[in-house]
Amino acid sequence: MTFGNNMKEALFSLKTSRWRSMLTVLGIIIGVASVVTIVSIGEGVRKQVEGQINILGSDTITVRPGKSVTRNSEGKIIDVNLLASQSNGSFSNNDYEVISKSKNVLVSVPFSKISAVAKTDEREFLDGNVVATTSELPKVLKQKVLYGEFFDDKNPNKNIAILGKKVAQELFNENVPIGKSLQIREEQFIVGGIMDNYANNPLSPSTDYNRTIFIPYETGKKISGGQTQIYQVLVVPEAIGLTDEVAKNITINLQKAHGNQEDFTVLKKEDTLAVTNGILKLLTSLIAGLAGISLIVGGIGIMNIMLLSVTERTREIGVRKAVGATNRQILNQFLTEAAILSLAGGFLGIIVSLVVDYAIALFTDIVPAITFPIMGIALVLALAVGVFFGITPALKAASKDPIDALRYE
Amino acid sequence: MSLIELKEVSKLYGFGDATVVALDEINISVSKGEFVAVMGPSGSGKSTLMNLIGLLDRPTHGSFSLNDRSVERLRTNQRAKVRRDTIGFVFQSFNLLPKLTVLENVALPLVYKGITQTRRLKQAGAMLERVGLSDREQFYPKQLSGGQAQRVAIARALVNNPHIIIADEPTGNLDSQSSRLVMELLADIHKSGGTILMVTHNPELTRYATRVVFMHDGDIIGDEQSALGQVPKLLKKTMYSLSRFSLEDDLAGVSVLMKTFPDKIEKQKARKKIQPKKRATKKRTAKK
Ligand SMILES: Nc1ncnc2c1ncn2[C@@H]1O[C@H](COP(=O)(O)OP(=O)(O)O)[C@@H](O)[C@H]1O
Ligand SMILES: [Mg+2]
Repeated sequence: MTFGNNMKEALFSLKTSRWRSMLTVLGIIIGVASVVTIVSIGEGVRKQVEGQINILGSDTITVRPGKSVTRNSEGKIIDVNLLASQSNGSFSNNDYEVISKSKNVLVSVPFSKISAVAKTDEREFLDGNVVATTSELPKVLKQKVLYGEFFDDKNPNKNIAILGKKVAQELFNENVPIGKSLQIREEQFIVGGIMDNYANNPLSPSTDYNRTIFIPYETGKKISGGQTQIYQVLVVPEAIGLTDEVAKNITINLQKAHGNQEDFTVLKKEDTLAVTNGILKLLTSLIAGLAGISLIVGGIGIMNIMLLSVTERTREIGVRKAVGATNRQILNQFLTEAAILSLAGGFLGIIVSLVVDYAIALFTDIVPAITFPIMGIALVLALAVGVFFGITPALKAASKDPIDALRYE
Repeated sequence: MSLIELKEVSKLYGFGDATVVALDEINISVSKGEFVAVMGPSGSGKSTLMNLIGLLDRPTHGSFSLNDRSVERLRTNQRAKVRRDTIGFVFQSFNLLPKLTVLENVALPLVYKGITQTRRLKQAGAMLERVGLSDREQFYPKQLSGGQAQRVAIARALVNNPHIIIADEPTGNLDSQSSRLVMELLADIHKSGGTILMVTHNPELTRYATRVVFMHDGDIIGDEQSALGQVPKLLKKTMYSLSRFSLEDDLAGVSVLMKTFPDKIEKQKARKKIQPKKRATKKRTAKK
C-alpha cells in the first residue's frame, strides 16, 4: 500500500469520527501549547536580559560582592552559585577606592543602595530604589538622560536627584518634573533630570532603572551617615584590549584588601552574558520538562482513545484483513492515524501558544519569542509522542485474528 | 488439475479436555469452474472449512494447496497477499464498512494492492455495474436493502478478479426474493467461468450448484455431483425427512442428516471405535 493511500484511509477514518478525534488531539494541544509557551517565554526573557546586558559597553567590567561564580584554571566559568548572586553582601567605600585605583582603570562607577523612601508633599515612592552613584554613570550604562542633565562633579555634595521614568510619573504625576523637589531621608532634593526608558527585564525587578532615583555618591554617603552599601561597581578600562588585565588587577587588589579571600565576583561582559544565558536555559528547560509531562499525558490519552477505537473497529479490521490487508498494512493505517492526530495537535498547540504569548506580551513585561526552531521542535516532539503512544494500539489492531474479528459484534 | 486440494486436513480448537475437532482429516479437491454447495447442520465445520480454504485460518494438520502451491505453512503476511489475489469473500452479514460509500466499499480490496484512487474507483464502478447497482455508488450501506448490500459485497469480492468466491450462507439474512437475485448473480459468475464455494442451509439453492458436499461433525459424509437446476437425490431424502424431524429428535440431539444417512454415520462411528485416529489429542466434543 502506498503512503498516499495510507494517508487517505487515515484521514477518512479520522474525519468520520470527528468528535473522538478532537478529544484525542486535546491532550496533545495542551501539551504542545504549554511547552511552546514556556520555551518562548524563556527565549523572550533571554533576549530581554541580553538586551539589558548590552547596555553595557563591550569592555565594561562588573564587580559585585559575593562569590557567585566558580572558574576553572583557564578562567572559564564552570559553576554559578545562584544563592551568592542573590545575597545582599556589599562593598565598602574602601573597596570602591581599591577598585577605582587599580591599574589601567579609566572610569569606575559605584552603585550604592540607600535604604530610604522618597516622597513629596503629596505622595511617597515605595516601590523602587535610591542609588548613589557618580557622574560617569551615563557613560558606562548606555542609558541616556531624556530630559535635563545628569549631575556633574562640580559640586559632588549637591542634593540633586535624577529620576527613572516611572518614578517621575508616580511621584509627580508628570513626565518632566524637572526643578521640583522631593525628600529623601529628611533632605530636600531637586529633580535634575529624567532617564530614558530602560528596557526592563522581568527576572530582576531590583535593577529596574525605570524605578530608580540616582543621587550623587558623596551626598548618598552623607545622608546615610558615612555608610555605603555598594552592590555593584562598573569599571571601564583605559583602552579596549586591557579588559582582561584590568579584571585581573582588580581581582588581585580586592583579594589583598579582603585578607586574601575571593568573596567577590569580577565579570567581563561575555561572562555576564554566559552566566545569565546559562541560568535562563536551565530554568527554561526545567519548566519545559515539567510541561513536557503534559505532553506525555496527552500521548497516553491518544493511546487510550486509540485502544478504544481499535476495539470498536474490530469488525472493520476483520473485513480489511479478509479482503487482503496484511498485518503491516493495518499497523501502518493506525500509526498514520496517530501521526496525523498528533501533528494536528502540534499545529493547534502552536496556535494556542501564539495566542497565549500575545496575551502575555500585552499584560506583562515579558515579551515571549516563538521562533521557527521552537515550532519545528514542537511538531517533531508531538509526532514522536503520537507515534510512540500509537504503537501499542496499532500493534493490537494488526495482530487481531481475522476470524474472531469478523465474528465480533 | 485441481484448484483446491485438501489432504487429511484437521482443525482443532482449544486444548486438553476442551479440545474441539472442527474438521476431522478431511479430503476434498475442487477444480476450476465448479460451483460447490456445502451443507450440514450447524457446528458441523462448514465455516471452518471455508475459512481454511479462504486462508483466514490455518489447518492444525494436513496439507492444503491452492493452484498447486502448498499454502498451509505460509506466513501471515503471505497468506494475506494470496488471499487478496485469489479469494473473494461473501459473508452472511454482508460486512460492508458503514462509513464508506458503496463505491469505496467495493474498491477496498484494491487499496491493499496499492492501486491509485482514480483507478480503484473506476474498477469498482465497473463491478457495481456488473451487479446492477451503478445508481447506488454514493449510497452508504445502511441506505441499502439486504439484497442490495449483498450484491455490493459480491461486487467487492469480484473486484480483485479472484480465482475462488467463498460465500458462507450468503442468503442467510435475505428474504426469498433477494435470495434469488443474489443466487442469479452467483450463477452468472459461475457461468462466466468462476469457481464458487457456498455454504447454505437451503436445499433449494443447490439447484444452482454442480456439486453438493454434506458435512457432519467435522467429516464430509456425502459428496455428489448434481446437474444444474436439480436438487440431488440424497438431498431430497433429507428434505422429506425434515417433516419427520420432531422436537424429541432435537432434544435428543438427532440431526436430520443422521436420519438421512443413518448407516453411513453409524459405520463411521464404528470404524472410529475400532481403529482410533492417529492423534491422541483428538477428542470429539462437538455437539450432536
Ligand atoms: N474459535 C473457535 N474456538 C472453539 N471452537 C470453535 C471455534 N470456531 C468454531 N468452533 C467449533 O468448531 C465447530 C465447527 O464450527 P463451524 O465451522 O462454525 O460450524 P458451521 O459453520 O458448520 O456451523 C463447532 O463445534 C464450533 O463450536
Ligand atoms: Mg457457519
